[in-house]
Amino acid sequence: MAQIVSTAEKRPRFTLRLTDLIWIVGAIALLIGAVGMLDRLRFGLAPAAIGSYVPWGLWVGFYDYLVWLEVGSLMLFSGMVYLADNYTLAKIKPLVLFTGFVVLLMALILVAMDLGHFERFWHVYLYADFGSMITWMVWLHTAYLLLLAVELLLALRGTAKGLLKVLGLLSLPLGLMLILVSGSIFGVVAARPLWNTSNLPLMFFISALAAGASLLLLLVVVFWTDKTSDDYTRLTQRLAQIAGWLMLGGTFVAGVLAFTILYQGGGNPQRAAALQLILTGPFWWSFWIMHILLGVIVPVVIYFLFYKSRWLLMIGAALSVVTFVAVTLNIVIPVLATPELEGLAEAYHHQKLNLNYVPNANEWLVVIFVFGFGALLYGLGLRFLPVLSKRTQE
Amino acid sequence: MTEQEKLRPEPTTTSEVSRRNFLGALATAGGAALAVAALDQFAADPQAALAAYEEQIVRGTLNQGQSSADLRALDVLERMRLELLRALQKQPSERRWVMVIDLRKCIGCHACTIGCVAENKLPPGVVYRPVIEEEYGTYPNVARRFIPRPCMQCENPPCVPVCPVRATFTNAEGIVEMDYERCIGCRYCLTACPYSARVSDFGFTYTEEIPVIQGLVGTAAADDYERAPNFEYGKQYAREGRNSPVGNARKCHFCQHRILEGVLPACVTTCIGRATLFGDANDPESLVAELIASPNVLRLREELGTEPRVYYLK
Repeated sequence: MAQIVSTAEKRPRFTLRLTDLIWIVGAIALLIGAVGMLDRLRFGLAPAAIGSYVPWGLWVGFYDYLVWLEVGSLMLFSGMVYLADNYTLAKIKPLVLFTGFVVLLMALILVAMDLGHFERFWHVYLYADFGSMITWMVWLHTAYLLLLAVELLLALRGTAKGLLKVLGLLSLPLGLMLILVSGSIFGVVAARPLWNTSNLPLMFFISALAAGASLLLLLVVVFWTDKTSDDYTRLTQRLAQIAGWLMLGGTFVAGVLAFTILYQGGGNPQRAAALQLILTGPFWWSFWIMHILLGVIVPVVIYFLFYKSRWLLMIGAALSVVTFVAVTLNIVIPVLATPELEGLAEAYHHQKLNLNYVPNANEWLVVIFVFGFGALLYGLGLRFLPVLSKRTQE
Repeated sequence: MTEQEKLRPEPTTTSEVSRRNFLGALATAGGAALAVAALDQFAADPQAALAAYEEQIVRGTLNQGQSSADLRALDVLERMRLELLRALQKQPSERRWVMVIDLRKCIGCHACTIGCVAENKLPPGVVYRPVIEEEYGTYPNVARRFIPRPCMQCENPPCVPVCPVRATFTNAEGIVEMDYERCIGCRYCLTACPYSARVSDFGFTYTEEIPVIQGLVGTAAADDYERAPNFEYGKQYAREGRNSPVGNARKCHFCQHRILEGVLPACVTTCIGRATLFGDANDPESLVAELIASPNVLRLREELGTEPRVYYLK
């Protein structure tokens, strides 16, 4: 304990303040979100805006977003450290692993809240059907969580570096499988033409790496101790380039796919209608402004032109990390809000039988609760665990 | 052996009740047991004739030579009921339940929807058989049609393989069932169904917001309807708290619990236009087998290869 206190004392004043701010904001968010969480636990899914025709909504969108951040950042980190021998980046290993661990916990809590009977989650282990992508997702998530927990423990102790490397390398194929399975959950659904393509798992992979690169960049910009060092400059420049090219590449591929879908209706009106809903529907701004403008254009300009400015770089990375949620929400919701049978939503009237899904206060409060929980855990972890200590950076 | 299995008549071979057999019986009609064997007797005393015929089916005592040919003279409901009894003589795997919906006869009264809600005690927000109303054409040549949409009981159901816990499956008769106790409520099957035929039970009740007045109204006084169990899948599911089927995916099951008792599905018996028809397509003499061979038959979204067991006549 004495060592932790002493290392904390050596940290820059800003870091101390930030970690405290994180857990304090987290605690406040937790309390605010608890209102929605209690409703969720007491009344099930009834208070949420999701229904039978749009059965997945805000929580699933945020879940996928968190998975992208977690798996993308960890895969890129492991790839750069263990395959490309980037020893500079290796210095923040405990921080990256701890961040990934907290984000993974948040994702799992959120997706558990989306289950009608979350108390039966163990059925996926006992009655597993490996023909279902969700089974694979749960099993891979479990393996990933265990792997990450062991990795984090070893990294915090600073021991068994050989084993740590093996686990780090193992996390690469495991992460790849997890992200591809996450995309396949949607990709295999033949009933939803916009999802039903082999491109979707690959798009998930590219997007996860792009989101993960921005998250890594944000971690470096915020938490790197000596921001005047050459290591910092080289690392931020490298990460900014990786994130920028991944975002440009991903956007280009998505644009080409969109063009082929929209060209003469793409031979499938339902698929074209779902895409039109994303581009020109009531939530067009979430795609054009949140994702394209704030999530791609602004960060990419900063990454390539203003990467020497620490504050701009932080703003660019933060914008990218935050606005990536617009991508996953746009993948999940508009496709489900496109009617499978015209007139069905008008055939029988109930709030749970309509296609006009808009996340309500209950769903947002649960998200706030989960993010509050994550921030509280993260802030306290940064404060009391040797995640940021000099020892682990050396 | 379950209660339903006990109640099922002993299986007999299909040859015993074929049209040829029955026609033969018509020719050799005689005695009380064969009182039904003549068309004029059906006309003279249909109740007695039907009762006798039904008894023969259930007892498996149809004589060689009897046929169902004269069932065509009956109201289709009676014909389907007798064909249902006949199909129940077979092994479950030898039956192939199908539903035929004659769009020309459907008048959009929604009686089937309400009949289904009543039969299965469906709560608010849960519907197994909505009726889609569609207007088509260009003025002045316009028309309306009504498309009831039950579960298609697909032969290749997309909802089944996506379930992570095997909570939904196709039974021996081809009906896609739910295991409510196993379902975790992930709603993956809802996204996978191309007909939006699955819904989630969010736990609503009709009386939850009704004020309590001296125990007469309100949720607590709603035992008669709200909490009385339904009989889906041959079990009893009383509506208590968040217990299943609350939180589960739910769907039409062709009223399997009624079928096994020799009763037609609720949507069939409540259809005032006789637009919804039901039977065993593996029985070449059945009404549905005749109808699905007609040229004006179609199935929804056939291009997906789901092979629906619900046919529409247009």
